[in-house]
Amino acid sequence: MTRIKRGYIARRRRTKIRLFASSFRGAHSRLTRTITQQKIRALVSAHRDRDKQKRNFRRLWITRINAVIRETGVSYSYSKLIHDLYKRELLLNRKILAQIAISNKNCLYMISNEIRKKVDSKEYTGII
Amino acid sequence: MSTAAQNFNGNLKKALAGIRRINLEGLRWRVFDAKGQVLGRLASHISTVVQGKDKPTYTPYREDGDMCIIINAKDISVTGRKMTDKFYRWHTGYIGHLKERSLKDEMAKDPTEVIRKAVLRMLPRNKLRDDRDLKLRIFPGNEHPFGDRALDPYIMPARQVREMRPRARRAMIRAQKKAEQQEQGSTTNARKGKKREEFESEISVR
Repeated sequence: MTRIKRGYIARRRRTKIRLFASSFRGAHSRLTRTITQQKIRALVSAHRDRDKQKRNFRRLWITRINAVIRETGVSYSYSKLIHDLYKRELLLNRKILAQIAISNKNCLYMISNEIRKKVDSKEYTGII
Repeated sequence: MSTAAQNFNGNLKKALAGIRRINLEGLRWRVFDAKGQVLGRLASHISTVVQGKDKPTYTPYREDGDMCIIINAKDISVTGRKMTDKFYRWHTGYIGHLKERSLKDEMAKDPTEVIRKAVLRMLPRNKLRDDRDLKLRIFPGNEHPFGDRALDPYIMPARQVREMRPRARRAMIRAQKKAEQQEQGSTTNARKGKKREEFESEISVR
């Protein structure tokens, strides 16, 4: 059989991968075999953490809302706030509530005071 | 709380240790009075404040808690028999060398350590834990050298005290009756085991 060199095909493929890992630390951006491995790990982490990101942010919003709501005094807490929100069928989500808590605390206090008031005449048609 | 820094005759160097390492911009200085408070319940609130979890700008990777000054650390109280029966244990690494010290001895040795251990063990074990340790300033007595700063007293929420257990309540009433009779000087034989009279309904405040 005639001798056939592989040529530049593998090199072209590996340069693309090397470009992806160009900002990694140490050998992870310099050695070819390590680069392929680290690219795979990076993409796996990104895929997994895109879903975790949604969870993490919700945790953060809940913690922030809890922090502000407990300053209302007495024994008011995040759980009671959410229960009241559902009772009054207010559709604000935690992201917006957290933003309100940071930027304009008094607005959140006004909302919570309003939903805490007992409304006896209202018929509960929605979720309780 | 004293307001003059010169009255503080404790270890000033220890009290001010490492203050420069903390970025003190915009942090409040909260004062906790430990007199008569239960150890764990107070430590729980302190740990929330030190982590910064009572602020709307809480971020888990950034250290943003307030400075906490705790005074009257030697007047902290515990329920039950913990004073003699709660043990702090540690292992030195050598085989068979598990050491222990009871709460009473720990208070005698250094009352601030009791609160410090309680709070540190309630903080999450991550890289920010040591920085949070720097923010705790605990003093056994009533004085502290930070009197010239803008201090912010922390009001502990009211505690629901549990009703006394029947046996303990009977023992307490017996002791009260005994004390009354000794005052009156009467020698009637009223020292029965169980009282058949009505109990006064009282909630005890420990």
